[in-house]
Amino acid sequence: MISRMTDAGPQAPMMSLSWVNLAVVVVLGIFSLLFLWLGFQSFGGENPDQGNLYIVVGTAGLAAIGYMFFRTKAISSQKPPVEKAEVVTILECPSCDLKRVRDFQRGDYVYKSDESCTRCEGTMTITGIHRKAEPKKKR
Amino acid sequence: MYLHVGQLLQNQSDIGMILQTLFSFSFIIYLFYAQRIQAMTMLRAVEGTLRKVKGIRDKGRNTSIEAVKEAAEDDYDPTPEVERFLEHFFIPPTSLDPAGIVGKMGQLLNVRENIFEAEVRAMAPKASDSEVNNLENLLEASLALNVYYKVIRHFYLLGKRTMNIYVIMQIHMILPMIVREIEAYSRALQAFRDGTPIGDSVGPLVAARLMHGHEWSDVAKDMVVAEVPYNGRTLVVTKAKGPGGSVGKPGDAIENILNGRKGRKKVDAVIMVDAAGKLEGEPTGGIAEGIGAAIGGIGVEKHKIEEAVKKHDIPMYAIAIKQDITHVVAPMVEELYTACDTAVEIVKRMVDQRTKEGDTILVAGIGNTVGVAQ
Ligand SMILES: [Zn+2]
Repeated sequence: MISRMTDAGPQAPMMSLSWVNLAVVVVLGIFSLLFLWLGFQSFGGENPDQGNLYIVVGTAGLAAIGYMFFRTKAISSQKPPVEKAEVVTILECPSCDLKRVRDFQRGDYVYKSDESCTRCEGTMTITGIHRKAEPKKKR
Repeated sequence: MYLHVGQLLQNQSDIGMILQTLFSFSFIIYLFYAQRIQAMTMLRAVEGTLRKVKGIRDKGRNTSIEAVKEAAEDDYDPTPEVERFLEHFFIPPTSLDPAGIVGKMGQLLNVRENIFEAEVRAMAPKASDSEVNNLENLLEASLALNVYYKVIRHFYLLGKRTMNIYVIMQIHMILPMIVREIEAYSRALQAFRDGTPIGDSVGPLVAARLMHGHEWSDVAKDMVVAEVPYNGRTLVVTKAKGPGGSVGKPGDAIENILNGRKGRKKVDAVIMVDAAGKLEGEPTGGIAEGIGAAIGGIGVEKHKIEEAVKKHDIPMYAIAIKQDITHVVAPMVEELYTACDTAVEIVKRMVDQRTKEGDTILVAGIGNTVGVAQ
């Protein structure tokens, strides 16, 4: 298969990129803290305007770090792309009107009737198959 | 230590100068490299998607191989066969001279279907008809995933090589839509492996609700028909033959039914029930009524239906059951399941309102009939 060769392509830079990210975060963090500290120092001194400038730069650095963390977290903590859907089968007995819901089994299909009724002598017919209603996502 | 640094930078005007230079410098850098930075950001987003899609593609491939293995004889490894299948392609006929293109397309699609079926039968000779149909659908879903993966990879690698923002943008722009489609296909794997009804099965399920308990017969390839008396009228109900995954040939079926009624009462109305894409904000399982041939796909079957209906001059009504692209090939959600019962009532109401006693009405349930018998 051709793809096996090229598949490594997108993964290799990912590794190096995350290392670059880490280094950038560390350096940026040190400088931001330094600037913040300098800013608070100058507030007490004779030049509060200079202090403002320092604090702005320091905060911007920290904000950049926060943004990077947010981004990497969004990528790494992604839930598995597709979780298995839970499917149920609805069975009805034509002779005694018993209705039963059970988990879907492979081989089930709508209007299959080969399961004996648990209440009477009749055979139950599958009248419906659908996915279990998912709990509503709240934001 | 910090104290020392602070003392080092005691001269205020110097620091102001340095900061200003830094700001100006970053501004100039941004001025010239903004597009490149943007391209890199977009490329990263594509890369993330590519890895995800690769995971889904591999899952599809493995699911297919496992499913074929289960259906095939012992110690038969279908991996090379499945891999060959996943690279299968279809060349649509040229549209330079569009006259007769529907026929050409239909003929090619028939060949494709027959080849697929023969391939699956060769891989799993002991499988039943519906198992073969399900495997065929499963392999087709995997094939689609493989194509998605390869196209995204193509644009990613091309974008990385050229670093051209317009190349990267092309794939980045449509990424959210593509991801939704891919997620839908990945859910299809489960549906076709197990044989559960999918969102697209709403049409056949409505037809099955109407025709169940009545004698049915074959009317075209993979299509069944049954005559159902209702309120003094006769409903001629047709759907794809279940419970294996198949969309059948509704065009041929409707054509055969309309043409095959010589000597008997002709059909007075056609009602088609199908799943339809919903717009964002519309409820899943919402039902709308309309006019026309409610059928998707390339258009071969639609063409046949429209030709047949025009020839006999019959009014054609449509019932659409609204759903999202993520529902179409995924196991049927409960909203759609309950919508089917509502749709049956709507068909009956339509028949009551728009036809009179003694009329014959053709009801066609369009869609993939996986997991729905008749
Ligand atoms: Zn019973």
